[in-house]
Amino acid sequence: MLWIALHLPLLSLETFAATLVEPAPSEPEEGPPAASRALALADAHCIVSANSAARALGIKPGIKRATALALAPQLTLGQAAPARDAQALIAVAHAALAFTPHVVIEPPSAAQPGASPHTVLLEVQASLRYFGGLAALRRRLRAALAPLGHRLNMVSAATPLGAALLAREHRELDCVDLAATRRALSAMPVWLLGPGRAHWEALQGMGLRTLADLKTVPRDGLARRFGELVLSEFDRALGQRPDPREPLSLPPAFASRLELFARADTGAQLLHGAAVLLERLVAWLSAQHAFVRRFRLVMEHEKRSRRDAPGPSLTTLEIALAEPSRDSAHLLMLLRERLAPLQLPAPTLELALQADDIAKRAPPNAELFPTPASELEGLTRLIERLQARLGGAQVLRMAQVPEHRPELATAWREADAQMRPSRAGSAGAGFRAASPRDPDERRLSQPVRPVWLMQQPEPLTERAEGPLLDGQPLQFLSGPERIETGWWDAALVERDYYIAQQPGGALVWVYRARLPVAAQAPCWFLQGRFG
Amino acid sequence: MPATVADLPPPRLPAVASSGAVPAVASSGAPAPHRTPIIRPETLHPALWFGHQLGRHADAALPSGFAALDAQLPGRGWPRRALTELLLPQPGVGEIRLLSASLVATQRAGRLVMLFDPPMALSAAALAQLGFDVEQLLVIHTRSRLIAGTDSLWALEQALKSGHVGAVLAWLPPRLRAERLRRLQLAAHAHDGPAFVLREMSAAQRPTAAPLRLALRASGADGLAVRVLKRRGPPLETPLQLALPPVLGETARQRASEGLAPADAAPRAPLPAATFVNLAP
Repeated sequence: MLWIALHLPLLSLETFAATLVEPAPSEPEEGPPAASRALALADAHCIVSANSAARALGIKPGIKRATALALAPQLTLGQAAPARDAQALIAVAHAALAFTPHVVIEPPSAAQPGASPHTVLLEVQASLRYFGGLAALRRRLRAALAPLGHRLNMVSAATPLGAALLAREHRELDCVDLAATRRALSAMPVWLLGPGRAHWEALQGMGLRTLADLKTVPRDGLARRFGELVLSEFDRALGQRPDPREPLSLPPAFASRLELFARADTGAQLLHGAAVLLERLVAWLSAQHAFVRRFRLVMEHEKRSRRDAPGPSLTTLEIALAEPSRDSAHLLMLLRERLAPLQLPAPTLELALQADDIAKRAPPNAELFPTPASELEGLTRLIERLQARLGGAQVLRMAQVPEHRPELATAWREADAQMRPSRAGSAGAGFRAASPRDPDERRLSQPVRPVWLMQQPEPLTERAEGPLLDGQPLQFLSGPERIETGWWDAALVERDYYIAQQPGGALVWVYRARLPVAAQAPCWFLQGRFG
Repeated sequence: MPATVADLPPPRLPAVASSGAVPAVASSGAPAPHRTPIIRPETLHPALWFGHQLGRHADAALPSGFAALDAQLPGRGWPRRALTELLLPQPGVGEIRLLSASLVATQRAGRLVMLFDPPMALSAAALAQLGFDVEQLLVIHTRSRLIAGTDSLWALEQALKSGHVGAVLAWLPPRLRAERLRRLQLAAHAHDGPAFVLREMSAAQRPTAAPLRLALRASGADGLAVRVLKRRGPPLETPLQLALPPVLGETARQRASEGLAPADAAPRAPLPAATFVNLAP
């Protein structure tokens, strides 16, 4: 049994930084960007932890809050939230599920039920061969967890509790077997054990500082003075007692929330928080080797007045993908395009991401040279991007409708992003046999139509010799073609169509309307141009 | 020893050889060295040619379907990875019929043809008669909705940069600035296929970043007069007369050619104050 422990020493700070809203780009530079902002977490009146920018200003854990604010007035202070940390830890566990089915989130020690150790344990003995050895597995694990943006201590050992304890002290350590684990644990300080922290002063008074010291004293004496818990943890860490762990089960649907630190007024400010939630979604997807088809971003707004409807006011943004995908950059880009034109009714306080429509498929092949499959995928993404930015109603496809009235003979519908271009020789999808080249023959089979049609037929001025277009008389070349149809709906047409030539040489399609029969109504109209 | 520069004998200018030999750079007074062999730059690299030759392209050009036009285009066809500018007095002079051969060939090869902002409504029946696969054409309207922070050329630029689109046919807004067109031309380097941009005739007075520029005008029924305004090669003086895929039957065409004579004999004066100014974008 080989266990890898992933300890996140700065988890609370990192999840707090994720709730910050990025400064809007249009505002003038009011302060440093969030990455180098000074952040600190305070509990009651004392500072609990600080990031590197805050430490550079002299803020250390343990000083009072007032001192910290005096040292650094621009400090952003927050509170640690165990629920927020738990969600981030679950995301790390999901990302680790891609490497082994046996992943455990280390529960808090029985002696200190409040403090979660922020550690994820993986049992990887069975995965070593598939991933090509421990070193390769560690590299891939770090690469897979890098998008989540946490600082990791990665330690491998023979017992789960031993690995968890070692991970709190060492950044990287490999203990190949039980003997090495015991040796490494011997040097660990006693207060790493849960009960050891509670009785630290007493143990120190007795001169027991490391676990090696604990081994030298009689066990029943330890149990009598400090309780059974010390012994049980000690034995489990050294592998003298069995330590069965229940593996984490993957939830069937994804739901994750993020409460924002400051109100977000525009869609762009939400992107930072939405990116964090998308990374968690990608981790959950990679745990089950699946791709997402649609997901929902739910934004909860603050109440403007007491007269608002009771219950939370939510805005839901649903994004459906043409091609199931797991690419966080692509998902974030789609979200950004949809968020940009969105007008939020009120500032947003909380974000939630939900997804339950997934597709389990083989991953796409990453190839060096473009292939028809990769070209189709690229086209799908391009069309999705255009639809996200311009709106679905601006990306259209045509279809022929069997209808004699020319303005109704073309149907427009929104394009779906899945383009399947028919190849020559496929089941004759769109290409007819080439029309006979002689237009006389063609006219017998299908009438000639101009490429360009006016949206509304344009009335032409009339003179004694005929209709005028742009002040010039038209020369009639071909016609008439009579179209009388549409008695079943309100658009009855009775028209005689002619192909006419303008003095410049361009061909136009005009018609003479036989309805309505009023004397003053214009009866010559321009319907189209031959392009 | 000559006292001033004016006393020096004038330097002998290198002789301009008509056969293309590299001219010998002669210092004053020294005899010319032996003639170096004739170098043909077109054999060295596809991007080199003489001023009197027609340029070529590194990629194979797309045949346009008209032999007279292909003979005058650099590379014997429509260029890939570059913009081709077509200037029209108004939509409907025969431009779709001119491009139909190459666009239908692109569709038959299984690649996508996209149209951006067509000026009027398209007729699916007419396109099917020209040979297009109507279901596979994609039409994008970028100007019907005002979206903050977007310009109408963003969609065209994205399609060109993606490199997966087969051919692009775009109607650009009038009075486009030169740097916008330059940006499109740079984006077209990633696009493996022809990119046709259609603009108004008054754009001919302004320079363009596109390497090929044609002015189209209808001449006679089913005929097109093409003037090559800009190309990689010597300028073309006379316009080309192309016969488009015909729309008219034989009798109608005869009527068209006959009808010109009486019109020339008794030209009708246009109505006073009948100037039509097209204000549509």
